[in-house]
Amino acid sequence: MSRLDRRYAWLGVLLIAPTVLIFCMVIVYPLVSAIYLSLFSIFTPTLTGHWVGFANYADLVGSHEFWRSLFNTALWTVLTLVLQIALGIAMALMLHQNMVFRSLARSLILFPYFVSTVVAVLVWRWLFNDLYGILNHLMLWAGMFSAPIDWLGTMPNALASIVLVGAWKYFPFVVIAVLARLQSIPEQLYEAATIDGAGAWSRFTDVTLPQLREVLLVVVLLRAIWDFKEFDLIYLLTGGGPVIATQTLPRMVYKAAFGLNQMGRAAAVAVSMMLVMLAFMVVYLRIASRREREGRA
Amino acid sequence: MGGIVFSRVRKAFGSFVAVKDLDLEIGAGEFVSLLGPSGCGKTTTLRMLAGLEFPTAGTIAIGGRVVNDVAPGKRNVAMVFQSYALYPHMTVGENIAYPLRKQGVARAEREARVRAVAETLQLGALLDRRPKQLSGGQQQRVALGRALVREPAAFLLDEPLSNLDAKLRAHMRAELIELHRRVGKTFVYVTHDQLEAMTMSDRIAVMHEGVLQQFAPPRVIYDQPANLTVAGFIGSPAMNVMDAELVAAAGGAVAANGLLRAPLAAPGGGAGGARTIRLGVRPEDVLLGAGPLSGRIRVVEPTGHETIVAFEAAGASFVARAAADFSGAPGETVPFDLRSARLHVFDGATGGRLELSGAGPISAA
Repeated sequence: MSRLDRRYAWLGVLLIAPTVLIFCMVIVYPLVSAIYLSLFSIFTPTLTGHWVGFANYADLVGSHEFWRSLFNTALWTVLTLVLQIALGIAMALMLHQNMVFRSLARSLILFPYFVSTVVAVLVWRWLFNDLYGILNHLMLWAGMFSAPIDWLGTMPNALASIVLVGAWKYFPFVVIAVLARLQSIPEQLYEAATIDGAGAWSRFTDVTLPQLREVLLVVVLLRAIWDFKEFDLIYLLTGGGPVIATQTLPRMVYKAAFGLNQMGRAAAVAVSMMLVMLAFMVVYLRIASRREREGRA
Repeated sequence: MGGIVFSRVRKAFGSFVAVKDLDLEIGAGEFVSLLGPSGCGKTTTLRMLAGLEFPTAGTIAIGGRVVNDVAPGKRNVAMVFQSYALYPHMTVGENIAYPLRKQGVARAEREARVRAVAETLQLGALLDRRPKQLSGGQQQRVALGRALVREPAAFLLDEPLSNLDAKLRAHMRAELIELHRRVGKTFVYVTHDQLEAMTMSDRIAVMHEGVLQQFAPPRVIYDQPANLTVAGFIGSPAMNVMDAELVAAAGGAVAANGLLRAPLAAPGGGAGGARTIRLGVRPEDVLLGAGPLSGRIRVVEPTGHETIVAFEAAGASFVARAAADFSGAPGETVPFDLRSARLHVFDGATGGRLELSGAGPISAA
């Protein structure tokens, strides 16, 4: 290795060092620290405690609350994701058409995504309110029910409500991603398909959907990861209730850490959550590397 | 079957008229090129034929059937796009089979026809590849295959060779000529490349600013351009054009300007009164080295098999095709002559061709 090569190598190390340092500070340290904490029984206010080994994990495996929360998390993720994707694709297809006020509609559609979760949830709580809510008012007025419905305090209404609000809040992300892809599909593909005898539905299934496949894979994975760890929306809307009927894992972590002051147990739940998300991550990385290979081919 | 007729076809986009009252009759089995600079309306014409645009007025008939209201997929035409428009997620085989799938052709027959077409276009070994894995020329052949497999009444080709490099383009030109001869179907070919149009077509429709300028075999377009627009567009280097006055003389007329006097004769008799004309002569009809005229050489461009010489004479610029061994240098004075029988005479006001031809040696003014 020549002197110049060595100097370039050192320059490389120097340039990458800040990134590595920050990565260690904000990712590696908290991660290791969480795993470490999960092996202790810790009282949150004083952060003192004693080593218990894997007892926190053993507790979780035997805990009904943990399994219920895991199930709730999975259910919420799947339901809200399906709704987001369906709504997002439909809306993106609509906004891709030539129509009046298209740019205005494209901006307005992003509103739910940009509005702060606290504000959005407050609005929705008003809409859902059993005494003053517009939803109950309209349904009573239309004669659909004879008495107001408790949207957030009973099951399965509470689950349906958080799924609905979650889908409403996050579908614009799907719209943006899908719309961007739609705009980059060459018009000539549609023209070729038209001349080849494809009708509107065939053009959608044979041209649009296959072209959306890649972007949808990424969107589904990203949204699945984000929905899986969603906390504020559910916490603010139902608080995980009634009882623990809509309690998800992040809510359980919060409750264990700051409600029950069991930081060790909370860390154990968080680490378990991370393991599940690791599975998503592996899928994502495999897809990404496959795409890279195909891109090179 | 497969003849195409445009009758008074007009296409407007808002206030912009892309195609103006087009009348065009393409015979069955003919190879016709729509030729013109970009924005001349040739692609719009092709797209109307394909059904991707609808005429504002007039009718289009394919095989004797008016297709104005017929969906693109039901017109029995196939189109090859400039970008090939291959379905990226399908293999070569699936791409070629797609139109058949949409027609509901049974799988066994579909596979047989795809194999036959692949054989014709030497794509047999590539059937399982995806378009991304193919070279430009191979993609081009797949696009042709997707058109061929339908056995349509007419093939529409929209600048299909413009994305290929020069060598491959020459090769594909020859392949297209052969393909046309073999399938014997109507080909409508849009291009801005006069070489493609001249080499492949039975007839060329030259368009300019939405108006059909001339529709004739390549030789006629070259030798008897209908107007200055066609004369200027066809031929490379372009035709030399100079202003002149047409004056009556004994036995015909004389074209005269500051450079020369050229006796002209009207085959039909009567050259008309005195007026301004434009006199055109192709570079290969400018003879350098001897003659009554003289000019000063500006640029000499040897191309190997010939030498292109740009020179000035009496304030006008000329380009001549000279022999490869032409020895003049810039700044030198060179004598020259024009082949009087190959002079083109155009009306000074309208640019339209006048039926006048050279009738004797040219002399200096």
